[in-house]
Amino acid sequence: MTINRRSFLKYSGASLAATLAPQLAFAMAGKPHVVVVGAGFGGATCAKYLRMWDPNIQVTLIEPNAQFYSCPMSNWVIGGMRTMDDIVKSYANLPGYGIKMVQDTAVGVDANKRVVTTGKGQKISYDRLVLAPGIEFMTDQIEGFAEGEAAGKVLHAWKAGPQTLALRKQLEAMPDGGVFVIASPPPPGRCVSGPYERASLVAQYFKRNKPKSKIIMLDGHFDVVSKGPMFKAAWKKLYPGMIDHRPYNLVTKVDHKSMIVTSEFEDVKADVINIVPKQRAGAICASAGVRTDTAGVWCPVNGVTYEAPNVPFVHILGDSVASNMPKSAHVSNNQAKICAAALVEMFNGREPNPYPVIGSTSYSATSDETSGPIAVVMRYDPDKEAYIRQPGGGAADLSDELNFAYNLSWFENIWADTFG
Amino acid sequence: MTLKSVLSGVACAALCLSAVSPGVVVAAEEKPCLIAGWQNPASICAAHTKTIAATCFICHGPNGKSIGAVPSLAGQDKAYLAEAMRDFKSGKRESTVMKKYALGYSDSEYDDLAAYFAAIK
Ligand SMILES: Cc1cc2nc3c(=O)[nH]c(=O)nc-3n(C[C@H](O)[C@H](O)[C@H](O)COP(=O)(O)OP(=O)(O)OC[C@H]3O[C@@H](n4cnc5c(N)ncnc54)[C@H](O)[C@@H]3O)c2cc1C
Repeated sequence: MTINRRSFLKYSGASLAATLAPQLAFAMAGKPHVVVVGAGFGGATCAKYLRMWDPNIQVTLIEPNAQFYSCPMSNWVIGGMRTMDDIVKSYANLPGYGIKMVQDTAVGVDANKRVVTTGKGQKISYDRLVLAPGIEFMTDQIEGFAEGEAAGKVLHAWKAGPQTLALRKQLEAMPDGGVFVIASPPPPGRCVSGPYERASLVAQYFKRNKPKSKIIMLDGHFDVVSKGPMFKAAWKKLYPGMIDHRPYNLVTKVDHKSMIVTSEFEDVKADVINIVPKQRAGAICASAGVRTDTAGVWCPVNGVTYEAPNVPFVHILGDSVASNMPKSAHVSNNQAKICAAALVEMFNGREPNPYPVIGSTSYSATSDETSGPIAVVMRYDPDKEAYIRQPGGGAADLSDELNFAYNLSWFENIWADTFG
Repeated sequence: MTLKSVLSGVACAALCLSAVSPGVVVAAEEKPCLIAGWQNPASICAAHTKTIAATCFICHGPNGKSIGAVPSLAGQDKAYLAEAMRDFKSGKRESTVMKKYALGYSDSEYDDLAAYFAAIK
């Protein structure tokens, strides 16, 4: 028989030797230990599937928060279609899989000794470390953002939680005839279609409750880059004249006292300000020395194992990964399963599957009864060492009621799969 | 076919085998299999099928048991599931996203996925 020897050798040379040899001692001593940082869509899924697929693996999951607020559906809260209760997810089921939950923040990684340090001073050693901390905001790129955020006048609401609710409250308090400014950065960043969904659902709220109000989108992108035809068709049909989308309009400055948002081209006066700053991989990735793409903001990985190429035994998942994949909950959950499966194979002395596949579906709502999807399959090519988009993927041209039902179903199933 | 014979002759075989923990059971009847046109040891195909099936869980529910409007896959007829993928691909059966998915997977993967989900009780 022929196996794909070329890729196997490429993959298994020095790196497999390095990854497997030290495990041996551990495997004989007992059970391999994986420490996962961050119980979001990437981390919680990885922890759960490691335990389901190989109960011999010990898993510790470090997360500071007592519960999870889901970004998916958080725009529905901002638009008034749902409440915070609908997007809060409990971690209560995870210990049932044999996951050890540690409520704490990972603050340091010693990759040589393979030890994670936490904010409360615990030292936790690992055989493999999985970092899934999501994003941190580069607020220093926008003059005045930090002051405005501290004053509660400039919100990102791009991590679900208190800012989601605060933004909703500000929109409710805004008088009719007000201006809501929403600014988004150029890619790559978390959930590229999110700002357009948010504008749609706020437009729906304004149309029903404050019809003289306006939405100005200062977009760092050159166009409505995700689901463009679908969003534009919905805006024209459902909210004519309400959403003023201004492409190529990267925000550089904000003054929360005068409520003026400044882009490379113009000053815009706002009543409610929502700016999504540029992002990078969570801080713990920098501590671990894996935030090493050319701009020093995202983490390159081996596409088979999600291990950092420069730091053995450290794997990265989710939004923090440097890749051509969308930064979405769907992709994070999918990467987590590929990583978990690879770890299971390696801990058991087998070659991990060299051909992982990522499926990515993302729904956006355009109203409280219409949504539309984008879907693409990406297959890892071991020779190119890259995920290749398969032909045929793309977005729907129109949003509709059937896809709204599927959108709702998607939330329920991914929450159950990740946290249930 | 055993794991040993699959790995023997490969440069790192000794090392890989030395890392197999004593508890690992290797199926006696493993046959080589195809993924994306490459022949592979059976353990890789099993891991591949398990992982791509888990991809489906995101929309079709954990273990293929949906709690929403998207249909469950678990326990469905194997031939029906594989046929559905072929029909999505050709366009014979209409879909919202499934044609895009069908185009990204191969015929043998349709069959493997169909068998995987059909076997879930
Ligand atoms: C408005 C909005 C709408 C969205 N809608 C969708 C959608 O419909 N579909 C979709 O697929 N995606 C959507 N997304 C994107 C999705 O939310 C993210 O891509 C996804 O959450 C990324 O998963 P993650 O695991 O990388 O990070 P997260 O899910 O953010 O999880 C990271 C976790 O790590 C924890 N953490 C961080 N640092 C540490 C540390 N040092 N120690 C311990 N724990 C730490 C955090 O507390 C957090 O719980 C949306 C995003 C936004 C903003």
